[in-house]
Amino acid sequence: MSPSLSPLIHLIDDDAAVRDSLALLIGTVGLRVQQWGSPQDFMAQFDRAGIGAIVLDVRMPGSSGLTVLDRLIAEGVDQPVIMLTGHGTVDMCRRAFKAGAAEFLEKPVDDQVLLDALQSAVQRHVGSRQRNREDRDARERYAQLSVREREVLGLIVAGLTNKEIGRALDVSPRTVETHRANLFTKLDAESLAQLIRRYAALVEDTA
Amino acid sequence: MPHHRATPAVALAGLVIAIAGCVTLARLELNHLRDGFETDARIIHRLLSQRTAQQDAVMAMLALLQPATQGAAAPPGPRISAVYPQILEVRQRDDNNPWPDAAMQAGEDESRRSHRAAIGGVDFASGRYQLVQAAAPASYAAQIDLRSMVPWEEWPMQPEASPVRVTLEYHGQHYVVQAGHDRVGQWQFDFRKRLAADSQPFDVVAVRSVGWTDLPWLKMLGWTLLTGAALAALHALERQRTERRRAEELLRLGQVARLNTLGELAAGVAHELNQPLTAILASTQAASRLLNDEPPDLATARDAMVRTVEQARRAAAVVGRMRRVVERPDVATRLQPVNLQEAVRNALYLLEPECARLGVRPAVMDGTVVVQADPVALEQIIHNLLANALQALAQVPARERALSIAMQPEGAHGVLTVCDSGTGIPADVLPRIFEPFFTTRSGGLGLGLSLCESLAADMNGTLTATNAAQRGALFRLSLPLAKTP
Repeated sequence: MSPSLSPLIHLIDDDAAVRDSLALLIGTVGLRVQQWGSPQDFMAQFDRAGIGAIVLDVRMPGSSGLTVLDRLIAEGVDQPVIMLTGHGTVDMCRRAFKAGAAEFLEKPVDDQVLLDALQSAVQRHVGSRQRNREDRDARERYAQLSVREREVLGLIVAGLTNKEIGRALDVSPRTVETHRANLFTKLDAESLAQLIRRYAALVEDTA
Repeated sequence: MPHHRATPAVALAGLVIAIAGCVTLARLELNHLRDGFETDARIIHRLLSQRTAQQDAVMAMLALLQPATQGAAAPPGPRISAVYPQILEVRQRDDNNPWPDAAMQAGEDESRRSHRAAIGGVDFASGRYQLVQAAAPASYAAQIDLRSMVPWEEWPMQPEASPVRVTLEYHGQHYVVQAGHDRVGQWQFDFRKRLAADSQPFDVVAVRSVGWTDLPWLKMLGWTLLTGAALAALHALERQRTERRRAEELLRLGQVARLNTLGELAAGVAHELNQPLTAILASTQAASRLLNDEPPDLATARDAMVRTVEQARRAAAVVGRMRRVVERPDVATRLQPVNLQEAVRNALYLLEPECARLGVRPAVMDGTVVVQADPVALEQIIHNLLANALQALAQVPARERALSIAMQPEGAHGVLTVCDSGTGIPADVLPRIFEPFFTTRSGGLGLGLSLCESLAADMNGTLTATNAAQRGALFRLSLPLAKTP
């Protein structure tokens, strides 16, 4: 993994001393940290496409951490958000999770707790990005299929044999076999199981 | 303010009650007068009926007892008049002497027909009438005087003063027995009944006229005043209760406000301390990790330690600032002579509902001890001590609850003691009882007694806690006596 692709942690806290020391701690496990002193700057500038996570202080002047969280979720930002608070009430904790926070930690936070939370958040983010890319690819490939090919795919997913598909579509099993070969090529599938796993949901969505 | 809006309604209700009461009183009085009138009228009727019956009997006796031969005896008139003063004269008629007038003859005819005495002429204008008894050989006629016929000694009314008009009526003639008051009033009582003796069918007519002046004005005035007084008392009571409630509300609000301020303060302190603590923890843990690296990153670790020191100093500064905020330098400047008795009374007044709820009657020892204190701080201390005592008392059965408050001078100090009959202070708690944030109550902040002790110290006094000899806790507040001018 090149340095620019290693996960980036956004650290937002108005207290420079807290920011510096947390950044130092996070840096010891090889994660890159970008510090933000104001939520406004962060919202205006941070890289939404990057891989990583966001650490947000709940109590900040100007804009409450919860408000920032709401705006991030509304914007569709997919980086997991870890909330940090000085004195977390049960109510605040509930609100944070309801709003979509990945984690809610109390200051002062123990190193292992914070680092574990960050690493699992980053892993989840990478995983979700991966799944998103696969979904997008599958959708693009599916769009290239002809109408007949889609029909054949639908019947394959439904569990019919070539003979049954031929009868259903009133074509010869040989023609079905040709469509089937095209499907595997166009959809970049190596096995029937892979084909069904990736495209069953799409077939059902478009049916 | 609710009770100001309610005032016209209360006044209206009062007016209605007063009027209703007066009407009832008037009706009761009218009923009473009517009952009295009717009783009197019945008595009159009975008395007069008895007299007429008596006269009948006399006439019958005359007829029965007459001598068999004419003129043998003197007429019985004078002797009868002596016994019956209303019979003025008795005449006797035999076959040779006719009656002087036709009415008497008609009376005799009637008497002969009915076998009893009969009226032989009526002259109510002069208050006389003739009663005729037909008999043989002679018939008798008695002239009866109405005025003498009335049994005044048994009369139920004062004939001169009574407002009741009594008359006898017979065929359009009237005889006034008793004049009464002849004014026409608002209400009129009537009584009319024929006398019981058939021989003398006179109607007894009684009329009583009752006017406004006969109403029980004094009682009605009394009732109105009473209603007014009761309403005024009720109003005053209500206002007192409202004010009391408002005072309690204010007190409660004050406590809530103080708690809110305290909460804000605590939240502020927590944040202020949390930031450096977070930095310290993160830096030291980062340094520890850096030192464990192979090879150890000494430069960065050293840097982290420098930061840690900075942040520890920052935390210390927060604590110092806090202490200066919490200090109360102004208490010492507000010292003035305060009567302990009065301060205790004020504090007890506010706790009265609580005392009543627990059934505690605080025993306050008499005595005037004037100390040098800040009245507000002193009251706060006493309030706290009493509230604590009441809370302790709530833990023991109601009949064992006792709270005594005493004050006496001791050397240059005035000492106030608050002693309850609660469960006392456990031995392990006693040494820590004035520590801030130390509490045995869930939900308690543990600041009350700590604050009291600091307030006492600010006023150059002391506050100590012990267990009483018998049972319960004993708090002792000692403050310098005020200098006598």
